[in-house]
Amino acid sequence: MALDRQLEILAVCGVGMGSSLMLKMTAEDALRSLGVDARVENTDVSTARGMSPDVVIGQGMHTGEIADLAPVVITISDFLDKEGLEAQLRERLTEQGWLA
Amino acid sequence: MTAPSEGAATGSAAPGPVVAATDGATAADWREAVRRAARALVDAGAAGEGYPEACVRVVEENGPYIVLTKGLALVHARPEEGGLAVGVGVTRLAAPVEFGHPDNDPVDLLLAFCTPDPDAHVGTLSGLARALSGGLADRLRAASGEDDLASILKEALPNA
Repeated sequence: MALDRQLEILAVCGVGMGSSLMLKMTAEDALRSLGVDARVENTDVSTARGMSPDVVIGQGMHTGEIADLAPVVITISDFLDKEGLEAQLRERLTEQGWLA
Repeated sequence: MTAPSEGAATGSAAPGPVVAATDGATAADWREAVRRAARALVDAGAAGEGYPEACVRVVEENGPYIVLTKGLALVHARPEEGGLAVGVGVTRLAAPVEFGHPDNDPVDLLLAFCTPDPDAHVGTLSGLARALSGGLADRLRAASGEDDLASILKEALPNA
């Protein structure tokens, strides 16, 4: 893979401990399928503002607030849709040159 | 199909989550549905009296993002809002309600959880996430009643 380090990925939601934890697990499954070496953390939107991940994933109502937080911001509506997230990750990571 | 936990000895493992189930709940709107779902955790002794209103405030302040997937809301608030133990409750509504979610409305199934600290629930919720990916919501929708809801949920949770 083109990036010479582990990709930092942040799953966000309002409280940062329930929905985003589920999203983190969906993201980990999707990244595993893509063969991407990544560390996924989950947090709430306000904590996310102080962080500088490579990729942020969340629902539109949250990613709109943090659209400039990371080079890649992915908006999803179904936290359990692994295939949908995998497709978005494949496209966006390829754009960045992070996925061969 | 729960495998016996390895080396299980009396009192050696952390207590499993409290499980609650409510079937045929009536709610006029999403607030009532959220209160009803969280109330089950209060009644089961897993959350304090203030927990249901705290769960309503989460949605008021952060939007209806707790509607994770089609028809299903994950009702919760922060541990300091009254989480006494790790608890998971399922509430099946008699009639669905709208949360105002752009894609996942209307909601007929609510999973509520509470936790006493920011880490205690991670194992339980991870198990819940796996189970939801594996079709738990549809199994809960097909449940024959309250007892069946509770046993389907228990099967899905590690250590429950």
